[in-house]
Amino acid sequence: MRNPGKKLIALVLCLTLVLTIGSFATAEGEKVLKVQIETEVQSLDPQVATDGTSFEVIADFTDGLYQMDAAGSPVPALAAESTVSEDGKTYTFKIRDDAFWSNGDPVTADDFVYGWQRACDPAFASEYAYMVYDIALVKNSVAVNKGEMPVDQLGVKAIDDKTLQVELESPVSYFYNLLYFPTFYPVNRAFVEKCGDTYATSPETVLSNGAFILTSYEPAATNFTLAKNPNYYDAARVKLDGLNYQVIKDSQTALLSYQNGDLDTVALSGDQVELVQDDPEFSTVNAGYLWYITVNQIQYPELANVNFRKALSAAYDRDAICSSIIKDGSTPATYAVPSNFATGPDGKDFRATAYTFEGSDKAKAVEYYEAAKKELGMDTFSLTLLVEDDATAQNIAAFIQQEWQNTLPGVTVELKVETKKQRIQDIQSGNYNVCLTRWGPDYADPMTYLNMWITDNSNNYGFWSNADYDAIIKSCISGELALDPTARWEALKEAEKIIMDNMVILPVYQKNNAMMTKANVKGIESHPMALNRVYKNTTIE
Amino acid sequence: MRRYIGKRLIISVGTLFVVILLLFTLLQFMPGSPFNDEKLTKEQRATIYEKYGLDQPIIVQFYQYVLHMAQGDFGVSYTISKNTPISQLLQSRLPISLRIGGQAVLLGALIGLILGIIAAIWHGTIWDTISTIISVIGVSVPSYVFALALAYVFGYQLSWFPLLYSADLPFKSSVLPSIALCMFTIASIARFTRSEMLEVLSSDYILLAESKGVYGPKLILRHVLRNALIPIVTVLAPLIVGLMTGSLVVEKIFSIPGIGSLLVTAIQSNDYNVIIALSFIYSAMYIGIMLVVDILYGVIDPRIRLSKEGPHD
Repeated sequence: MRNPGKKLIALVLCLTLVLTIGSFATAEGEKVLKVQIETEVQSLDPQVATDGTSFEVIADFTDGLYQMDAAGSPVPALAAESTVSEDGKTYTFKIRDDAFWSNGDPVTADDFVYGWQRACDPAFASEYAYMVYDIALVKNSVAVNKGEMPVDQLGVKAIDDKTLQVELESPVSYFYNLLYFPTFYPVNRAFVEKCGDTYATSPETVLSNGAFILTSYEPAATNFTLAKNPNYYDAARVKLDGLNYQVIKDSQTALLSYQNGDLDTVALSGDQVELVQDDPEFSTVNAGYLWYITVNQIQYPELANVNFRKALSAAYDRDAICSSIIKDGSTPATYAVPSNFATGPDGKDFRATAYTFEGSDKAKAVEYYEAAKKELGMDTFSLTLLVEDDATAQNIAAFIQQEWQNTLPGVTVELKVETKKQRIQDIQSGNYNVCLTRWGPDYADPMTYLNMWITDNSNNYGFWSNADYDAIIKSCISGELALDPTARWEALKEAEKIIMDNMVILPVYQKNNAMMTKANVKGIESHPMALNRVYKNTTIE
Repeated sequence: MRRYIGKRLIISVGTLFVVILLLFTLLQFMPGSPFNDEKLTKEQRATIYEKYGLDQPIIVQFYQYVLHMAQGDFGVSYTISKNTPISQLLQSRLPISLRIGGQAVLLGALIGLILGIIAAIWHGTIWDTISTIISVIGVSVPSYVFALALAYVFGYQLSWFPLLYSADLPFKSSVLPSIALCMFTIASIARFTRSEMLEVLSSDYILLAESKGVYGPKLILRHVLRNALIPIVTVLAPLIVGLMTGSLVVEKIFSIPGIGSLLVTAIQSNDYNVIIALSFIYSAMYIGIMLVVDILYGVIDPRIRLSKEGPHD
């Protein structure tokens, strides 16, 4: 009975050997940047995509009229010239003569007309249609999107092959900042119509007019590649031979892959930062998001008391949240408009010249609280703090719960954890007391944050309302102030002051992302919105 | 036998129909929509719902879905890969999960059987102890711990295998995930094989066989193992489905474009069509494999006559 046993052991050993033969070697040679992304690309169609990852990849192979420079300011790309009418409502663009699609077709004004019409067409049902009708205020866009006007009545016209004219309902001071946003990118009409439903699902069904060309891709791929576009009008500037994207969702595998040389740049989790923060390859970049607590003044009427809101805001230690809980370089926020995403007519960041506001101060919190108790004639409050089921968000909420209860005796806080979708549904329907939530900028103007607090805005989850505030915002969008960028900028600062003086929201922190990038890689341009990373000026030494 | 299989097939189709109906109903209670809830206004959401037919009453949606599905059309993805037909997503992802899961099942069953046999033959010796220790570790340590340990040692430290799944090296990059996935199977199969074989080894008919001069591999393989196999096959069946349908954690750690992570992402993002299609495939595979197992019983053990169930039922 011993023979079969020995044979079996031999078989096991053989099997182990077979499985472990050989070793894995990474390809070397060309200057291909190996990039990690944390989610799959949702769509490569510029008028369908809605997420940062998709936008980044679309912008690798497509140029718009404008592009982002390293600081995030708009600089001409496909637009050779641009002029604005005196009333600020008509823009005329000349398209570059040396811009071609990868099938050899020249990029024409009609490609833009078609792209913008797709974005606004109700039959196409683009999720980002609001960028055209609510943000860019293109003429007739509201009626077109509602189906009340044919799509060819949209205020964007091809005067000739190379001249594009855009008419707006009212002046939009940040209009150039929208032109690098993928929703406003051109698409080749004949090619898109030929591909039909398969458009932008493979290298064969997508056209490039940008720095790179898609060389391998399939829907929801975890790995895909791009190569330098030799026919790009600005090819001399592009130093990379290509890009290799790899989806890695697990942060430990991602860091191992980076250390292994399989990646040139990687995103880190808060816990990993402690391990690598002294490494010269470590850096943090602005992620744009403002995390804040929204307070429901309807369901919990005591929250309509401004001293109570101020007490709550001053009672939690924002520094401790950033340094002990999040740990990824995120910074405490005491404002309604985050820093480093919107530059004014003075060339300065909005925050650099805006007002500063009170932050965390427990002694002051108690003062406000005493005043609130007197005004309300109450001395106990029980609040429910709603938070989504993300680990970091829950830890922050638990900390704020403790801070409120410890600093403001009489306040009891219960935590309510929900999935993100449920949380959003609940705050949209006003079914909450206080909720930890966030907002990311859609375009490089403080309006992307301030517009939310006007009466009846669907994102005004606290139902706060103030006629003076509404009037300032309205004037900045389509009134007198819309025509005077400097006065508008000052008015926006005043608007933010109204929000913070009334403590409409309780800011918590501004999100940063922790990164590692190989020392020999230079010039990856990071932005808090639209195009998260741009590689046109990236070099590998 | 044919009649039995025919009956089972009809029940299977009915079960699948009920599964889809249940899923359709349950999805209505999921909070939120597949679309960008925070940024969309009500009017815009209505426009998008209209485009995809989500504004229709649930019965109409169900009818349309079943009608399309009968023609092999599972609809399109709303979030994971916007407007991509689900069949296209499955075409690229299902084979990868099946391959890695299949390898894990084969490897797990083979090693599990070998360990179990060794433990049973040398019952009470050091080999038995070693096999038991391996089984205990395999059952108690979650697969993601194995996955991370394997990735660290064989992917990072030794560089024998790729850390990440690569379509260019499909076999080599599937070795570590297969091993990480098969640990639980090894442990379960080894334990069952051991206990079943011990029972069979102590039975009278084995004593008879030995006294008649049957020994060695012939005794073990033809008499002991064959009789011990039935309970093992029963344990193996659900393990096969579990492994072939992908594993979230192992797929996440090795960045495998499989269907395990696809389902989780779909649930998190309310990608209705992907959820229904994948749940349908899971159910179909489960029902299919259970049917195969029932038929296998008769092949392994002639005492079980499925055909008996026909006239005498």
